[in-house]
Amino acid sequence: MKGFLGRLLLAFILIPLIFCSCTEEQDFNQFNDLQITPLVASSLIYLESDEATINAVGGLGNFYVQTINFDAFNEQFVSENLLEGTLFYEIDNTTSKQLAITIEFLDAANNVLDVESFDVQPNQPTTFMREVDYGPTGKNLNILRETSSIRVAASNLSDSTSISSDPEPKVILRTAAEFLFQLK
Amino acid sequence: MFCTFILMGVGYLYGQNKQILYDFYEIPQSLMLNPGVKTSEKWHAGIPVLSGLSLQAGTSGVTVNDLFANDGIDFTTKVRERVLDAMTRRDDFSSTVQIELLNLGFRGRNRPDDYYSFGMYLENDVVVYWPKDLALLAFEGNGGNNIGRSFDLGDLSLRGEMASVFHFGINRKLSNVLTVGARAKLYSGVYQFQSIQNTGSFITTQGQNNIYVSSIVADMQLQTAGIEPVFDILDENESGEGKELTRLFSKRAFLGGNLGLGMDLGFSYNPDPQLTITGSMLDIGFMNNSKDVKNYTLRGNASTEGVTVFLPEDINNVDNDLWQELVDDIEESLPYEENESTYISLRPVKVYGSIRYDFGEGGESSFENCGCAVNKQGRRTEGFYRNSVGGQLFMIKRPREIQYALTGFYQRRFGRVLSLKGTYTIDKYSWTNVGLGLNLQAGSVNFYIMGDNLMSYRNIADSHYASLQFGINIISWNDN
Repeated sequence: MKGFLGRLLLAFILIPLIFCSCTEEQDFNQFNDLQITPLVASSLIYLESDEATINAVGGLGNFYVQTINFDAFNEQFVSENLLEGTLFYEIDNTTSKQLAITIEFLDAANNVLDVESFDVQPNQPTTFMREVDYGPTGKNLNILRETSSIRVAASNLSDSTSISSDPEPKVILRTAAEFLFQLK
Repeated sequence: MFCTFILMGVGYLYGQNKQILYDFYEIPQSLMLNPGVKTSEKWHAGIPVLSGLSLQAGTSGVTVNDLFANDGIDFTTKVRERVLDAMTRRDDFSSTVQIELLNLGFRGRNRPDDYYSFGMYLENDVVVYWPKDLALLAFEGNGGNNIGRSFDLGDLSLRGEMASVFHFGINRKLSNVLTVGARAKLYSGVYQFQSIQNTGSFITTQGQNNIYVSSIVADMQLQTAGIEPVFDILDENESGEGKELTRLFSKRAFLGGNLGLGMDLGFSYNPDPQLTITGSMLDIGFMNNSKDVKNYTLRGNASTEGVTVFLPEDINNVDNDLWQELVDDIEESLPYEENESTYISLRPVKVYGSIRYDFGEGGESSFENCGCAVNKQGRRTEGFYRNSVGGQLFMIKRPREIQYALTGFYQRRFGRVLSLKGTYTIDKYSWTNVGLGLNLQAGSVNFYIMGDNLMSYRNIADSHYASLQFGINIISWNDN
């Protein structure tokens, strides 16, 4: 009987030990401080034209004008979560033409919110690059948020007869964007 | 003599690896882990009285304490350093809940070498692998330093289900050295979901024409059964949603849901009176998910450099919706679809193996005076030895891998009254898992309790793994 009681006592000492646990202080409210801010990159518009097309349109005129509905910027998610953005422009021009390229950001009523203009020199030896920031250190972020369409216009400021010595003379406009979102 | 096992209450709680309970043959529930375990009971019956919920939770990566300790470190920094930078796609979060609702057993009157057991338990099992690349994509995006980085969409791997299990098992002593057992199982599914064997990638690199090209290749699928009606009830957001959910779950748990079949197999072999080798394979089965099925797929490939205009080819294209057409093209190449196709899901098969060496003759065996006339080898019965040492192996089939656990144990018996089993287990969740099990047979009252990973109890929030099992029985082996 004594042995049994001893074992029983041992059992009841061990059982609470198994249950007994401690934990350091936890603060689950920290989750509210979590910040998720991905940087999303995407190409936007690519425009390429050969010199013959520019010549065919004639001198001192637009050889390309296009308004592209672009609601990606002003979708609710973007409007609510966009922190800042950068638009990248790259232009190569191996034609013999001096060109002007403009990119207009239009709102839903076709009002011009912003314009990016490029004076493109003929036979550019290197790629022209421009980065335009929007947000705290750049242009007003609302330009992007309210953009509903983008109008791209390219015009020839030279004559319509000159021909580049380049075997495949082209003008190329590349555009891309990187947007910083606040998901949480 | 009559053998009466009156189970005042069994709260039978365990996680997936129940290394302490395994081969703890003094406890009737060890039959659930090895239908071929040696049995001494004449019959037993179990009725739950503890409104039982058992939880085994494991994380091979970050712990609660790692993230939520009140240490003054910026939470986002902790997430970045301890989750995003530290965890891999092999890390997982898993949880298993099992509640035994009924467990009965009896020895065959005409075949005393046979022990039959049957019952029902409810099981909820979820495993979610850390979707490393998808999490990185969400946190960092595809821009900046991630240009050129391929995000593996196959990192998404998860599986979960709740099912009630109706089972019937036969345990047969074939000889003095070999006992075998088998258990048939009928699964009644409450819900099931799985997204496994996903493949694909998403990458943004320098474009051939434009600045960037983003490419995605995906073969992804999420299969669900029984989930949508639950969300429908929750979406209704009415005061009676709790009752509705209870009614829905109850109906499904009692054969009103998707059904499946399975079996357990096991054996105990004594090549030597002091040596026992055991093995079992559990939940070899499947669920046929045909009711309330909703599957979601994303299959295809797409690549984009944005809106592209080539002159003179596109000079007459005055369409203003070039961007929307681009989006439409991508969606057509990479369609997100839903279907209600029946699917088969496999149960998480588990395998146990053990070798046990008994030593230290003396004391009163649990097989003494059992009146069952089985598993008794003259005076040299199983429980005749006070001490046991051995090793156990546990394996479970998870969606992405077979997980292993190795256990070393020492068991000490104090006659029929008390038995202690200490374990040390190594698995992917912990290398410091020390467990302790206690089985107390106070007269007709049987009580057992088992705790796992005890060293982590100093700071349970910092534990990678925790489980607890306990039960109370009233048992009589004799006919009186």
